[in-house]
Amino acid sequence: MTGKDFDIIVVGGGHAGVEAALAGVRMNRKVALVSMDAAKLALMSCNPAIGGIGKSQLVKEVDALGGIMGVAIDVTGIQFRRLNLSRGPAVWSTRAQADRRAYTRFISDFVANQRNLTVIEAIAGEVLTENGRTAGIKTEDGQILTAPAVILATGTFLGGLIHIGETKIPSGRMGEKAAYQLSDSLRKLGFEVGRLKTGTPPRLDGDTIDWDKCELQPGEVPIPFFSYRSLYREFEQTPCYLTHTTAATKALIIAHHKRSPIFSGQISSTGPRYCPSIEDKFFRFADKDTHHIFLEPEGNGTNEIYPNGFSTALPEDIQIKAVKTIVGLEDVKVTRPGYAIEYDYCPAYQLKPSLESKRLPGLFFAGQINGTSGYEEAAAQGIMAGINAVLYLEKEPSFILDRSEAYIGVMVDDLVTRSTTEPYRMFTSRAEYRLTLREDNARDRLFEYAQKYKLIETQHYNSFKELQKNTLEEIKHLGKITLSVNTLEGFKERFSRSRTVNLKNLLKMPGIDIETLLPLIEKHNGSFSANPEVLQRAAIFIRYQGYIDKQAREIEKFKKLESEKIPDDFPFASLKGVRIEAREKLRRYRPVSLGQASRLEGVTPGDIAVLSVMLKKHKGDRK
Amino acid sequence: MLHPGKKISSDDDTIVAVITPPGEGGIAALRLAGKKSLALLLRFFQPAHAKKIKFSPFLLRYGFFQSTEGGIIDEITAVYMPEGESYTGLEQAEIFCHGGCRVVRVILDELVRAGARPAEPGEFTRLAFLNGRIDLTRAEAVADMVAASTEVSLKVSREHLLGTFARHIENLRNDLIKIIADLEASIDFPDEEIVAPERSELLGAIDDILAKLNELAITYTGGKIIKEGYQVAIGGRPNAGKSSLFNRLLRQERALVTATAGTTRDYLSEWLDLGGIAVNLIDTAGIRVGGSTVEKSGREKALKIFKDADLILWLVDLSSRGWKSRLEDDLKYLDGKLIMLIGNKIDLVKEFKKDLRAYPGIIPVSCLDGSGLKKLKSNLIKNINKKMPDLTSGVVVTSARHKQKLEQAIEHVKSARMKLVEDESPEFTAFDLNQATRAIDEITGKVYNEQILDEIFARFCIGK
Repeated sequence: MTGKDFDIIVVGGGHAGVEAALAGVRMNRKVALVSMDAAKLALMSCNPAIGGIGKSQLVKEVDALGGIMGVAIDVTGIQFRRLNLSRGPAVWSTRAQADRRAYTRFISDFVANQRNLTVIEAIAGEVLTENGRTAGIKTEDGQILTAPAVILATGTFLGGLIHIGETKIPSGRMGEKAAYQLSDSLRKLGFEVGRLKTGTPPRLDGDTIDWDKCELQPGEVPIPFFSYRSLYREFEQTPCYLTHTTAATKALIIAHHKRSPIFSGQISSTGPRYCPSIEDKFFRFADKDTHHIFLEPEGNGTNEIYPNGFSTALPEDIQIKAVKTIVGLEDVKVTRPGYAIEYDYCPAYQLKPSLESKRLPGLFFAGQINGTSGYEEAAAQGIMAGINAVLYLEKEPSFILDRSEAYIGVMVDDLVTRSTTEPYRMFTSRAEYRLTLREDNARDRLFEYAQKYKLIETQHYNSFKELQKNTLEEIKHLGKITLSVNTLEGFKERFSRSRTVNLKNLLKMPGIDIETLLPLIEKHNGSFSANPEVLQRAAIFIRYQGYIDKQAREIEKFKKLESEKIPDDFPFASLKGVRIEAREKLRRYRPVSLGQASRLEGVTPGDIAVLSVMLKKHKGDRK
Repeated sequence: MLHPGKKISSDDDTIVAVITPPGEGGIAALRLAGKKSLALLLRFFQPAHAKKIKFSPFLLRYGFFQSTEGGIIDEITAVYMPEGESYTGLEQAEIFCHGGCRVVRVILDELVRAGARPAEPGEFTRLAFLNGRIDLTRAEAVADMVAASTEVSLKVSREHLLGTFARHIENLRNDLIKIIADLEASIDFPDEEIVAPERSELLGAIDDILAKLNELAITYTGGKIIKEGYQVAIGGRPNAGKSSLFNRLLRQERALVTATAGTTRDYLSEWLDLGGIAVNLIDTAGIRVGGSTVEKSGREKALKIFKDADLILWLVDLSSRGWKSRLEDDLKYLDGKLIMLIGNKIDLVKEFKKDLRAYPGIIPVSCLDGSGLKKLKSNLIKNINKKMPDLTSGVVVTSARHKQKLEQAIEHVKSARMKLVEDESPEFTAFDLNQATRAIDEITGKVYNEQILDEIFARFCIGK
């Protein structure tokens, strides 16, 4: 295409849009980022935190692919800790409280300093096409921007409608505008557009909270940072606090629940079950009398507090009364009311696993528009859409991670293979290869790709290769160190037969980790000089090896089905011998591989057997 | 599984077939399935009392089958089933006429001439499966039921067809999902106020599942007998009377006609119906075992038959001298196999009762005059019944594939149990239980995606 303004236009400056734009720039493309406010990029519209169970794994994967999220939270985080430390490393998850304003400032500045990246303050109104391909966008104020690839990352701004009690406010975030023409443009192009709901709690003035009544939740030291690029530093962390609702809260909410748009029928779209409003909680779990509320600081330069667990759409006066029934918040001042928000999304069965739409070449979707919720989920899709938009321009095969390689792969596959009817959030239980997909090995899983697509600096790649080599050596070394069973205070009784045990075998045992062993080793074998990072990696590797070998066989089976590709022109509609329900699903989703087909709901192994035969026949016919 | 939309049919044809066995019988039945079923029925149906008649679903109507030329072919009853409510899921009609090759043939011809297509073998069941009327275990059961040759196997396939087995498997799966949901909730939502179940509680639940899985897997001993029959080999030294016993048993019992042709017959084998169980009686006469003159190949063949047999009837010629020492030798050789000892030729030995005092396990018979055979048969039936599962529940594993999957599930659950005992982190226990669930899923061919999360959200108030 000649005379185009940009290579890629990204619509939306949230967590998805920013990662998409930066990935494009990293791969040497000229990118426009269209956002309403260039100073509010990657703003945390809801809770001021990054990470959490299943989500931190996504952040580390984005980080391994050269993304900005991990670095940004490491720079602007005010409290870090790891969840699930009493479990195994496969489900450890880092979570950090962010200084919300600092986070946005950091990202906005970073974006502003990118050559090849132009931020355009506008509202996208229409996707432009030319000869059946994406050609650019038209803004609501009539500007035409041309580019052969467009990434839509509209978040809650697409047809956003805020609800507080009976009040409805057209807006994508309190006090801001929303995009209304774009949904119509998508419908005109033939896309199915649906509607979802989410919510946010009121914000509180921290100076009016009786902290003594709440339980302190401190950060973790040493501080668990997210990015391999961050240098370790220590600072005084800002704590969170834990409190709970009372019988009075329950009574009040139940008395006024009909005034919530969720119950009055004003909102009919589906909200997330894992993040219900407080009125929902009291109704769905009526036998529970109190609920935890986590009081999270919004930043260092502000007294504003985010009461996690108290999302509500009740009228403002009821919200104020209800909040005051919470322990420690008796005299609290509400700085901003909570609200529910409805927004448009495009069910992701309309996408290929590359996040490009099946209908319109060159048009990519990322983030909430695909039915997800969460900053991390958005960022992960953003970076994938960004990389794939570049590969589309270069006419290269798409970059697709599968379910055995990354949480990103699990999420994208879930999105394009299953119809999301509620906002999708990552959980570790969604990943069948969870023991292989860990925070600690994100680079082991993804760095080769990152290097291949030139998403990271070669120096980082090389030093990681060195780390991998040292880890392997350390594993061998641990197999050679033998301890006398008698020296293993506390573990002795586990050994009835042998008198000695090597460290490698010891590390495989439940309840034993490198931290418990180190003092013992040092006591009896003198100092142990290995690099702690290498030692930790080696210990985790040893711990999981047996399972990973078991999973490897499953993964092999899985990959075999994934590699059975179904051509774009495969006639699903005339497929005979599969059940009608299965045929309809196959027609609608048009899976790209037998593997994806097998995961479609309502498609049975019998149907797959038939499909596999027909596929061979189809391929034979075409030769 | 029911799909509300359009039903699948083989290229929109209306198909027809006789669904009762061929030959003379009291009543024969024909089935029509497809869009024109009712229209075709109405075209030939002449009501007995009224001029016109309306067919209400599932209401049997009495009348006559009138040929295109106008003549009455037979007195019939007929029934109509609307789309979505029939076996195949399609609009369906059934005609019951008098049995007899000619009448049935004429009616079938009339229907085919009027536009119905003769159904292919198994097409009705295939349609039922394609239209989601039955699942995989049930489709398998239909095939079994058609092939079922004895009363017991018929009963078991009928229970599978009714979905009792599939339901049982589903319940087992739900039990597993409940435990997994507990573990997963504690992993994915550590900040929530979820009270993790006590280890003893989890262990109890896991032991419960293990017991149920074992109970089910063990029914395969009987299930295999029901599906594949009970293999009984007749063995013994030359001239012990093996062929005589074989022929006697066959002559007295109804021999079954089966379709298990194709095996090379180095030996004689026939099926008979013994107390409702299909018994495959194998005569190893001609294959000589033991002794020094044995050919190697014959010996191996006999060994193979004995190895595969569920039971060996070992015949001893009580009239031959030195049978006791030879039996001792043979018993060593047959060590570890399930054997019933039979002392033959009591007609030739006067003092056999005294001889047998040291061998209370030997059943004395005479294949010549038939004495003792009654006891032999009742012992045989007792022996089979000892291996039979309780059939009243209808939950019997009859497929080797299902058995294998159940065993895999058991191994995974056992492994999960061990993790729990060792106080291992829950993601490992969940790993094994998930593997177990997947093994079970392969039995019914169903894949459930979001069930664990559904279970968590239904039971726990999540929402930090």
